[in-house]
This record gives sequence, structure tokens and C-alpha cells, in this order.
Amino acid sequence: MNKILDLLDPLLILSATLMGVALYLIFIWVPTETNQGAVQRILYFHVPVAWGSMLGIFVVSGSSFMYLLKKNEKWDRLAVASAEVGLIFGGMMLLSGMIWARPVWAVWWTGEAKLTTALILFFIYVAYLMFRSYFPPGAQRQRLAAIIGVIGAIDTPIIYFAANLWSQAPPPLITGPAADAESTLGSDLGTVLLVSTLAFTFLFIFMVQTRYKIRKSEDDVVELKRASSASAMTGVN
Amino acid sequence: MMSNVTNTAIRVVALRIALAMILAFAVSISLTQISSAEHTPPVNGIVVGVETDDDGALTRFAVSDSTGTIHTFTIFKGTEYGLENQAGDRWVSIQEAEPSEAARRLRDHRERFAPITVTSENGTAFSVVEREEGKLETNLGYLFAVFAVTWALFFAYVLYLGRKQRVLQHEIARLKGASGK
Repeated sequence: MNKILDLLDPLLILSATLMGVALYLIFIWVPTETNQGAVQRILYFHVPVAWGSMLGIFVVSGSSFMYLLKKNEKWDRLAVASAEVGLIFGGMMLLSGMIWARPVWAVWWTGEAKLTTALILFFIYVAYLMFRSYFPPGAQRQRLAAIIGVIGAIDTPIIYFAANLWSQAPPPLITGPAADAESTLGSDLGTVLLVSTLAFTFLFIFMVQTRYKIRKSEDDVVELKRASSASAMTGVN
Repeated sequence: MMSNVTNTAIRVVALRIALAMILAFAVSISLTQISSAEHTPPVNGIVVGVETDDDGALTRFAVSDSTGTIHTFTIFKGTEYGLENQAGDRWVSIQEAEPSEAARRLRDHRERFAPITVTSENGTAFSVVEREEGKLETNLGYLFAVFAVTWALFFAYVLYLGRKQRVLQHEIARLKGASGK
């Protein structure tokens, strides 16, 4: 059996190197933001993990759709792997957001639209994985999970546009196609955010790849057990 | 076999290109940092003078640093402010938006001897903010909390994956052994 968690994997090395560069930029290079002070540096961690969380649900949705189309096990494995890693990134997004909100807004949590839709995304991941855990294994489970995965992605554009859809949302859009022109990041801040996002994207891909291989091994174990019990049955007959 | 060798070669080349790009990026950033370091360093100190025009809009102010040196700064319409009142509420604005409020806030700081940090160029203030070092511990506490909690979560997940991998390896070896493969 090949080593699954390969510490010399180029993706991991690339991610770790970029993470080192990102840490240097975050803590030493980038100037302290005027409005929030040092705590604003949480942005360079919070936004990339939020991006990873949204990327995760897109991969879950895309691979679930492909599974429904092709009925190939590899798409199902990719959806599970991405959902699990997406859940981790979603958890990081919520935690970092809450810790950031406390000094800036003086609350840990509010019922504001962006936060609520982000929490819903986290629950979509939880629901998807819980469904897979509790539903009996088989083609029906994979089909229904794939449908949940496809539907789950609807939440992602809602999170992104929440600041524009509901006026009470405090943080304006600073990146992406719908970004508010007056609220865009300066070049230094944008550079750091870009490097950090790249680092976390590579980390996300590495983790999904690792989880995919583990999922493949789990399927191999099920297959071996099935073959072993079939041969035992033949022996008995 | 041949395909494996080709894949490895492609991976190594891709990794080298990526590392070269990162190195080039790091060098360019270092050069930018060196050039930015030549700018006037920020001044930390206590407000000792505030000057306004007939409309009450801030025009100049003076800061005394820890050595007693007085620095006088002029204002332009893009000067940024990030100042807190005694209760800790932060007021964020630019000169163009609230010129008289800036004067009021600086006078309040002068009365309270609350230190500020001013970044400037040729005597023109670009940003006037609450002295960051004063609140560094509080802010860094939150920053530390984010990194500690979330990285702990990440490493816990990696450990979970590692343990799962070991269990699966044992299981596969056992099943293969039992079936005589």
C-alpha cells in the first residue's frame, strides 16, 4: 500500500512554502491597518479559509453532479473528500470570524446575513456527512447524497452577495466581481491576501487529495471483506 | 514504469518553477520594503497643539515625542484618522469628511494625554491613529487566538487522517493475509 499522507508531496511543500511567505508578509511586511489596528491581520487568515470552504462546496456539488451523470465511484469519493475538508475549512472560517468580530464589533456573533448564510454552509456540510454516516451504504445513499451535494452549492453565491442583498451586512465586498469600488483593498493588503489565499488553496487541494486516497482505501477494505466472505461462503457450500 | 518516471520529472520541474517564482516574489518584496523603509518613520507621542481655521476645521497639530521633540504636522484632505474616545469607541474618518471633528478628537487626546501615532511625509500627516503599541497585547491576543485555535483544528484533522491511514493499512494487510494473496 502506498503512503497516503506523504510529507514530501509537492503540493504540501508548495503550500508550506507559500504559508511561510504569507506569515512573513502578514506579521512583518504588511503595514498595520489604520481602522482596526493589528487585529485586522486576521483578515489574511479568515478570507482564505472562507474561500476554501466555498471552494469545497463547489467541488462537492460538481463531483456530485458528475456522479449522477456518470455513476462513477471516483466522483462520489471526491465529493466525500471535499465535503470533509470543506467542513474543516468551514469550522476555521466560523471560529476565526467570531474571534475577529469580538474586538471589532464587540460581539462574538450577530444575526447578520453574511454570518447566518456562512453558518448555513457549515450545517450543509454537517448534514451531508451525517446523511452519509447514518444512511445504509449502497447506490441509493450515494445518489441521495449527490442530490444534497448539488443543492448545497446554492448557498455559496448567497453568502458572497449577502452584503449587497441585505443592507445591514457590515463588511462590504472587497474582492471578486461584485466588489465595492470604494472598499477594495490597497495593493499591499491585496498582495498579502492573494499569497495567503494561494497557500490555503494548495493546502485544500492537498488535503482533498489525501482524504480521497483514504476513501479509496476504505472502499478497497469493503471490497476485500466482500471477496473474503464470498470465498468463505464458497468454502462452506 | 516509463509513465511514472515522466510524471516524477514533470512534478520536479513544476516544483522548481514554483519555488523560483516564490523566490523572485520574495526578492521583489524585500526590495519594495527596503525602498519603503527610506520614508519618514512614524512619530509616537502626545498632542501638544491643535490649530484650526475660522470654520473650526483642523489645519495643523503638534506632537511631542518621548524625547521632548516637538513635531508639527499639516493636514491634507486625505489624512486618515483612527482615534478612540475615553470609552474605547473608535472613530474612523478622513479629513475631507469631518474636518472639525478631527480637531475636537485631537483636543480630547491632548486633554487626556492619550498617545497617538502619526505617519507623515515632508511634514504632511497621512494617518493619525491611536498609538498601536498601547493596545498591542489586546489585539495580539485575538490574533494569537485565531491562529492557535484554527491550526489546532487543522493538526487534529491531520492526526485523524494519519490514524485512519494506519488502521486501514493494518486492515488491508490482515484481509490480504487471510485471503492468502
